[in-house]
Amino acid sequence: MRQGKLGTFIAAFAMAGGGLLLAPGSAQAVPSFARQTGFACEACHTVFPELTPFGRRFKMNAYTVDNLPQVSGMTQSKEQSLALNQLPPLSFMLQASYTSTKAAMPDSVVAGALAQNGQVQFPQQASLFYAGRIAPNLGAFVQMTYDGTAGTFGWDNTDVRYARMANDKFLWGVSVNNNPTVQDLWNTTNAWQSPFDQRSATAPSPGASTLLGGGAADMAGVTLYGSWNDTVYAELGGYRSAPAVGIPLDSTNTNVLNGFAPYWRLAYERQWDRSSWEVGAYGMTAKMFPGGGVALSGPTNKLSDWAIDSQYQYIGDQHLFSVMGTYLKEKQTWDAGGAANPSNDLKTLRVGASYYYQRKYGAALGYFSTTGTPDATLYASGTAVKGFANNLPDSKGWIAELDWVPYQNTKFALQYTMYNKFNGGDANYDGMGRNAKDNNTMYLLGWLNF
Amino acid sequence: MKKIIAIAVGALLASGTGAALAQQDAKSLATGVCAACHGPEGHSISPVFPRLAGQQAAYIVLQLDAFRSHARGDPNAQAYMWGMASQLSDATMKALGDYYAAQKPAHEKPEYPDLLAEGKKIYTEGIPVQNVPACASCHGPKAEGAGAFPRLAGQHTDYLVAQLQGFQSGLRSNAPIMLGVVKTLSPEQMKAAATYAASR
Repeated sequence: MRQGKLGTFIAAFAMAGGGLLLAPGSAQAVPSFARQTGFACEACHTVFPELTPFGRRFKMNAYTVDNLPQVSGMTQSKEQSLALNQLPPLSFMLQASYTSTKAAMPDSVVAGALAQNGQVQFPQQASLFYAGRIAPNLGAFVQMTYDGTAGTFGWDNTDVRYARMANDKFLWGVSVNNNPTVQDLWNTTNAWQSPFDQRSATAPSPGASTLLGGGAADMAGVTLYGSWNDTVYAELGGYRSAPAVGIPLDSTNTNVLNGFAPYWRLAYERQWDRSSWEVGAYGMTAKMFPGGGVALSGPTNKLSDWAIDSQYQYIGDQHLFSVMGTYLKEKQTWDAGGAANPSNDLKTLRVGASYYYQRKYGAALGYFSTTGTPDATLYASGTAVKGFANNLPDSKGWIAELDWVPYQNTKFALQYTMYNKFNGGDANYDGMGRNAKDNNTMYLLGWLNF
Repeated sequence: MKKIIAIAVGALLASGTGAALAQQDAKSLATGVCAACHGPEGHSISPVFPRLAGQQAAYIVLQLDAFRSHARGDPNAQAYMWGMASQLSDATMKALGDYYAAQKPAHEKPEYPDLLAEGKKIYTEGIPVQNVPACASCHGPKAEGAGAFPRLAGQHTDYLVAQLQGFQSGLRSNAPIMLGVVKTLSPEQMKAAATYAASR
């Protein structure tokens, strides 16, 4: 989420040296869609938030499929001018969690002391959604999230889209959204990644993150997409910095996009029997002024991401099985400073498989890896837990999860994350005596959508 | 094409635009909405969703009405079709039935070829010792169906098996005749009959 409370899969902290905030990583299924369409959750989700082929189609169609009594209007030429649900499509989400790391974290103030281990969060996250149709071809997914620290509701994932069929086979649409990949249809990309869509908000997580791996924050963008025969999907758009500020962006802001940052997505999907298989690629290039006291002119730093992804789903009545993965390579060019090297590479790999029996009992296993060029400024030492004693961005590990979904809108997950490498090292990775495995995390989540 | 995504066709009809529009919009509704699961022209890919191409119009109307009234309540009917059918008018249901009846039926290869011979026997002769009548007596010699009796030829075999299981367990209870027919059928016999019927 935009306030940076929820951890994403790999991304967590501000990109070292870059100061980019954490991007949205929370993922939701929304009961208001079910209320609007009359479909049970399982029509669109294998188990939320992962989408079925039908769920992808519903999203691509701008969330407009509707089976509610409507307040309707029509022009003289019999064109529909209003189609409003009689009840607003609202939903509420509540998450509560418990987190325990293998070794307690150091106290944030008292040297040598330890923080309490075994953190309860209630709520970890609470969100209010407006999700559903607005007009005949227009729909929205809008998430407002409660910030427990500030005690206020803030803006979170938002995707407003317009879509229509050009003919029997070709659909086109426009999405206006605030987080690259929030509009994506497959659960390989960052915003709605599966199977490990939820992570502990309090446990340490690896410090190096790519732009499309969770580093893109405070942006707004417009993308144009087309789908042919539910088989070939293409999308192109651009993002611009859009933080909530009262004055035009200037030197007081950091990492301000220079112009528009282009985003693109290509995917091919094939469906047969109970299976679907997707293979695709996506990318984004962002040129940013570092700001932070420096005027927004002159040289920029450039992050150029290029990724491939693939997803397979088997959706049977009894057994459901999914495998997904994405490999992302980021080329960083630091013309405006902020890193020790003029340019760096950062590569991430994330694969996961999940199995559900009757959409009720599930298990998942995954592997993640971040590797890259060593850089003494970006990956600096000197900080406990978050530091990089070896100046390497590398983190690697495994993650496993058991799930119980007693009702279609209620999930309990027990997750264990095991780090073989954390922030560039195994033993004493932060130079202050902490080992990668000390960050191994046990996480228990309760998640309600209603 | 304008209303292709919006399933508010039902609402439109209620506002007095009449049966002509239902007829005209059945195709848009079918290609824009139904096709998401039932495939283009009713040729679905996943056996979770029945193929509708060439299905008996009267049978489609009966089922849509049963979804709307919640008389048909097997799990997938509840999950998908209760919502889908809730706002459909009688005229739209009829138009959808006519649309799908006019589409070219699919072909299904024998899913369990080893059971084909047994399936043929059950389909054409029934199983007298178990009081199972011949399927052909209602569904026709070529499994083409007739009126309220659905076409089985070209259907997903696994869909047919799931329906037989649903009749037996009571999950799908809107077909009184079938509830009696399947009482004594073994899982193997269901597969056999479905394989034969679907591959006609």
